[in-house]
Amino acid sequence: MTDAAAVPAIQVSALTKSYKGQLALDHVDLTVPQGSVFGFLGPNGAGKTTTLRLLNGLAVPTSGEARILGQQVTRGLDRNRASVGYLPDVPGFYPWMTAREFLLFAGGLFGLRGEVLDQRVSSLLDLAGLTEVTSRVGGYSRGMKQRLGIAQALINAPKVLLLDEPTSALDPIGRKDVLEMIAALAGRTTVFFSTHILSDVERVCDTVAVLDHGRVLVQAPMAELKRQHGAQRLIVEVSTDSAQLAEEFAAASWCHELVRRADGALVMTVDDVAAAQVDVPARIAAHGLGLVRMETPEMGLEEVFVDLVGGTN
Amino acid sequence: MRGFTIFMRKEAREIVRTWRIWVLPGIVLLFAISGPLLAKVTPELLKSVAGSQSGVTILIPKPTYHDSYLQWAKNLAQMVTFAIIVIYGGIVSGEERSGTAALVLSKPLSRTSFIAAKYVVQALFLTVTVTVGALITWGVTVAVFGASPVGLLARSTAVWLVWALLLLAMMVLFSVLTGSQAGSAGLGFGVYIVVSLGALWGPLARYSPSALVDAPSSIAAGGGGELAWPMVTSAALSVLALWCAVLVFGRKEL
Repeated sequence: MTDAAAVPAIQVSALTKSYKGQLALDHVDLTVPQGSVFGFLGPNGAGKTTTLRLLNGLAVPTSGEARILGQQVTRGLDRNRASVGYLPDVPGFYPWMTAREFLLFAGGLFGLRGEVLDQRVSSLLDLAGLTEVTSRVGGYSRGMKQRLGIAQALINAPKVLLLDEPTSALDPIGRKDVLEMIAALAGRTTVFFSTHILSDVERVCDTVAVLDHGRVLVQAPMAELKRQHGAQRLIVEVSTDSAQLAEEFAAASWCHELVRRADGALVMTVDDVAAAQVDVPARIAAHGLGLVRMETPEMGLEEVFVDLVGGTN
Repeated sequence: MRGFTIFMRKEAREIVRTWRIWVLPGIVLLFAISGPLLAKVTPELLKSVAGSQSGVTILIPKPTYHDSYLQWAKNLAQMVTFAIIVIYGGIVSGEERSGTAALVLSKPLSRTSFIAAKYVVQALFLTVTVTVGALITWGVTVAVFGASPVGLLARSTAVWLVWALLLLAMMVLFSVLTGSQAGSAGLGFGVYIVVSLGALWGPLARYSPSALVDAPSSIAAGGGGELAWPMVTSAALSVLALWCAVLVFGRKEL
């Protein structure tokens, strides 16, 4: 017997997509647990939108497979459509419809009717801040369209919500609102959220994958990712600035790179943290100096991202 | 066919809420009213032109309701047909390009329903528009020429409609194939020319849709031959074109 909760919300195996011989995705593997808020991070052109289109059955993989809630994603025959909400990077709306009309139409496609549909449309319009807007969608700003896009993606109360760059067109307040809304869905809905905005991922995601040039560089829980990469740096402050000590550290076998900051602190990138943690205090003591501070700082996602993506370029 | 009814409703509302409600009905209405009037005044105009040139005598028979119906049939066969080719060139590609197709097809709406609903609604719209146009033509013809048989006009219009519904199905297919309004309109004009020229070859003129291009005018003029085979092949080709459109669209990446 299969435990429904144990089935990943999204399972992608060796997913490959090429266009005219050009690889857009190269053997991508992803596992998105149910209830997680998953940040799919990558620079523009990394293959994020292609992945989302494949997950939606709007495109066909060259090889590999994708499953949503255990069901293989097959274009046009996907039985999961009722469980999935989708916001494309540039959502296309019928310009002659109002926001309410589009939501009623979208809800109708999911088989929603009557009072249930009316209530859901009203609450989603409220969520999107479009209740008072009675004009046609054709006259909306990009931010308004993006908010309507998120509302329509939620019309079926989806189990899996696929969002392609949901905050890219929003102003800071709109972005904050959307991120809060995504954070509020955590645990109830699986949110798969592609973006190139690092701070958004850092703010709401519990798990992250970094994609670059069509390949997944890393997938890990956010805290683990930061810890793994953050552990590679060491900041040391000594009681008296010593150029000789700095030279010794730089020449040590565990030290990869050393930078002397203006305040005298030594920022080192190390290959072996454990060895450094033993050796650094010993050498400071040998010089008759005092150790003021030694820490392995938590790395920001931005630094992790630059570290990962920069390394491949 | 998942989502067929809901998407059909959206298509119908799109006609009413956009330029579509004005363009095709406007063209048809213009010809419906002007046709009988032109049929009435054209001989007078020709006479006055000929009268201004000494030594030229033109004998023109008195116009009848046949001339009015002929005007209507010719306008359908040319101007309204061209309008259909241009208007429906983007019937599917327009939604692909604007991103609406990708958004709605990520919901429980099958690609077959998407194509079928578009065709059914536009076919109904075309049928209603042309039927109303024919009734107006008949009314104006009665007002200008006196009692006129409605059956002749109805037959002429119905035969053209069969050809027009085939053309609409082909425009759906071309729009799916080319992904562009200009491209599919170009293909539509090409098919129109080929089908028209087909009437010059006996077997095609007897059995194929080629017979339907000029048949409305022949019927309006009081002639017209056996059209059962061309009607059947046209209907069959319409179904085939739509089936191909569904197949190709089903494999298309959005």
